[in-house]
Amino acid sequence: MQRRRSSKTPKQPQHVQHKNQTDLSAWRKGGKIDSEKSLQYNQSANDQKYDNQEESLEQALSYFGKVQDCVAPKKNVVQKHLDAVESTALKQGLPPEGFEILLNVALSGRLADTVNTQLLKSLIPASVIPENSVVTAVSWLCVSKCSGNIQLLFLKWLITVFDFIDHKEQLHALYGFFFSFLQDEKLCPYVCHLLYLLTRKENVKPFRIRILLDLQAKMGMQSHLQALLSLYKLFCPEQVTITLPGKMKTYFKNSEGPWKAAITAVRQRNQGPSPLSQAVFLGTSQPQSRKRKWNAQLVIPASSTNTNHLEEDREKSCFYLHNTNESFPVEQLQTFPQLLQNIHRLEFPSQMGSVLTNPLLLHYMSCVKDESIYLRLYYWMGQMLQEECTWCVVDNPYEEEFKSFLETAYKAECFLQEGFSACEEFLYKTLPLWDGFCCRSEVLRLVSWIPLSSFSDIKQYLFDPLAQLFFTSSIYFKCSVLESLKELLQNWLNCNVIQMDLEISSGNTTLSGLVNVVAELVDFVGRISTVALRLENNSTFLLYFILDFYGTVCDMYLKYNLPLLIMPPAGVFYPALLSMDSVNLNQLCYIMYRYRTNLVAAKENELSKKKILQFKFSNQTYQKYNQYIIAMVGCLWTSSAFQKDIHPQGLCMDDKLLSKTAVKELKNSFNIVYHPAMMGYSVRFLQQICPDDTTFNFKLIKGKKWDWYLEYLYTQGLKGLKVFIESSISRVSQAARSKAGNVEA
Amino acid sequence: MAVLRPFDKLPKLNSGVLLFVGSDEELQRRLAETILQEKKDFNINIHLATSLPLPSERDHLRPRIDLVVFMIDIKSKYSLKNVETSLAYVDASYFLGKVCFLVTGVGRKNDCSIETNAVCKLGEAYCSPVLFCELELEGVRVATAQRLVRMLGICAGHIPGVSALSFVSLMRKSNDD
Repeated sequence: MQRRRSSKTPKQPQHVQHKNQTDLSAWRKGGKIDSEKSLQYNQSANDQKYDNQEESLEQALSYFGKVQDCVAPKKNVVQKHLDAVESTALKQGLPPEGFEILLNVALSGRLADTVNTQLLKSLIPASVIPENSVVTAVSWLCVSKCSGNIQLLFLKWLITVFDFIDHKEQLHALYGFFFSFLQDEKLCPYVCHLLYLLTRKENVKPFRIRILLDLQAKMGMQSHLQALLSLYKLFCPEQVTITLPGKMKTYFKNSEGPWKAAITAVRQRNQGPSPLSQAVFLGTSQPQSRKRKWNAQLVIPASSTNTNHLEEDREKSCFYLHNTNESFPVEQLQTFPQLLQNIHRLEFPSQMGSVLTNPLLLHYMSCVKDESIYLRLYYWMGQMLQEECTWCVVDNPYEEEFKSFLETAYKAECFLQEGFSACEEFLYKTLPLWDGFCCRSEVLRLVSWIPLSSFSDIKQYLFDPLAQLFFTSSIYFKCSVLESLKELLQNWLNCNVIQMDLEISSGNTTLSGLVNVVAELVDFVGRISTVALRLENNSTFLLYFILDFYGTVCDMYLKYNLPLLIMPPAGVFYPALLSMDSVNLNQLCYIMYRYRTNLVAAKENELSKKKILQFKFSNQTYQKYNQYIIAMVGCLWTSSAFQKDIHPQGLCMDDKLLSKTAVKELKNSFNIVYHPAMMGYSVRFLQQICPDDTTFNFKLIKGKKWDWYLEYLYTQGLKGLKVFIESSISRVSQAARSKAGNVEA
Repeated sequence: MAVLRPFDKLPKLNSGVLLFVGSDEELQRRLAETILQEKKDFNINIHLATSLPLPSERDHLRPRIDLVVFMIDIKSKYSLKNVETSLAYVDASYFLGKVCFLVTGVGRKNDCSIETNAVCKLGEAYCSPVLFCELELEGVRVATAQRLVRMLGICAGHIPGVSALSFVSLMRKSNDD
């Protein structure tokens, strides 16, 4: 007892021993502890209870191991041991050794059904479940010694704890046995679910397909049969010739029963990873496989010697080829060269979720053309996302786990450079119900990987809920949404470039369809940006993100080869032009410069008729650009914005109103010297050229000093301004200017 | 009469008045407390009611109401019926941006007894936005409170250039166009 105590009780071992030495009453096993004693005794009582539990579990297990030989088991003895098992299971889960014994008892039909039910309900694993116990249990199932309800419960349990079984090779070998249970009507849905988890390509045989079709004819269109048939069809489409309906969201009823809650509780108590992360990592880490790794090493050289001896011994080489038909177990995949060597015979793990964290498997997934992989992965991901979503499932305490799961999905999408349709459907389903707070950055990052398609579902499912959240949430949320929409646009444009380069024609996406969808996105962002600037009172921070988005839009033609050019709306342009800070003004100048370059290139291509353009930019685009450029030059250079701006939502003001502003020298007072964003620079400049002058006489900046002022601005990092001025403003020659004097300034 | 009218009283300076109508009083109270703890630029008054019409004895003491929030619990059919009968006591001009539907309890999808579709149709019929939330989670409660405060600021006219009507028309479904 002393030995066990020191290993099992980490808290206060010394203290407890001390107490036991001084007080003889506590030596009595079973702890008849006097309740009048102090708190310390209660703690020692807990430790003793802990040990009692361990002991009682051992006693229970040994009892149940021998109960087969017992003629008539006594009811209260059985009950006592049952309670011990149940309480240990609910507190810390059962150790792996216990499963074989308990499954044997439960499925052998020796004891009453109530006992068996209680036993099965207590089968909560603490760590893993050994495969042998499950195999023995299935053998009992085949003998049908237990009642139908117990068989059903066992199957439900097996489905729930499937991820906890350490190895599954023998289970895969039992595929045929499981298949034979399909004939039983009550068990059929659960057997289908189990088979769905176990099926591999070699399990798809014509006779099995025939049996499934017969069952379907007998029982009608059942969703679980359909699920299995669709999986078979994906593995071997030529053998399943019937037409099946498209994707169904949920094939199988959620049969998790009482175990799921108990498993999560035990996990929490043991402070181990939640089922979510468990499922993701279980497929890849197999510490027991060290022995098998050596066997695998033996197989690989066989395939290499095959090529060496090919001419020598045909028969031998055929034998080796036959050997290499075996699939390479994916748990042993450690390095990239290994992946390349075994790429023809890799097989995905039964827990598809583990692919997400394994970069080698992701590489493999991106080059293999097997639809079934995506189906399995999306099915698992869809289930996981739906079940663990923290704002749709209030009782789920694992917000951190869900966040890291979303993060993992996002990283996998970045790695593969494509979006998962499971994530897309999850977003469409939950965005209307989202509050904008839970897992915000993770969800918005997933938004940026929504796949490009030319259907306009996106308006209804993405833009509407996003708009509602956008307008009612804080400025930081608005900026995050704008950033993720910018990344969405970039991902779409990149995808399009790649597809055009490789000349892949993918389904329904035509160029005009793509252009329409991208145009819708840009229009949407234009609209919400205009309103957002009004709501946030032209905040600099928000304007930065909006201009960042248009930084991508302006270059769509030249950089991404998409024949689309959309100017920013007036509600974005004018606040940027009249903004109070130079960063945004500079960015606006750069954007207008890029627009000009793109428009000029488009015009040249059109005129030279080198490429037959499917799309011509309409005159309206050029017109809008011209209006903007007039306003900009007027604001920055010629002080004539208020007279010359012809944009309907622009700055035009008639002279009478302008004179009421009481600004002296209207013709010279609205340019880059006097612009509120540039005031700081002009003041600094004046301080440098006339250090003693305390009155800031801005009129000094003209002629040669104007050029110096421009140079000064360029050195201050205003590169956008530089390229804009050099491209859009034609300057009078040096000589003419020195004569004209005040004209420029 | 007992009908709520948006413009029959003068507004107070620098304030906004919110009215909650819903059958779950406890939830209303908790949400109201969260709202009052928010940082804001104007004074907020919150009135709670289980149904309309409001008792007419205290009508002269009541300020002008800027935003009416109808709370529907997705787990209770009664709350939806309650809201539907109360809608008759609101003047039509309130539905030009000063009404919003708040659906609570979305965290328990398995217990919901009214369909989200039904509530969305109600929102479309009355041209008012429908917000979904789960008020039992504290973070969500705070976020919802912040959203309501922003909407209240617009409805009370504190944002220049944005009226309640223009705001609500932005949030209409795009397939209505």
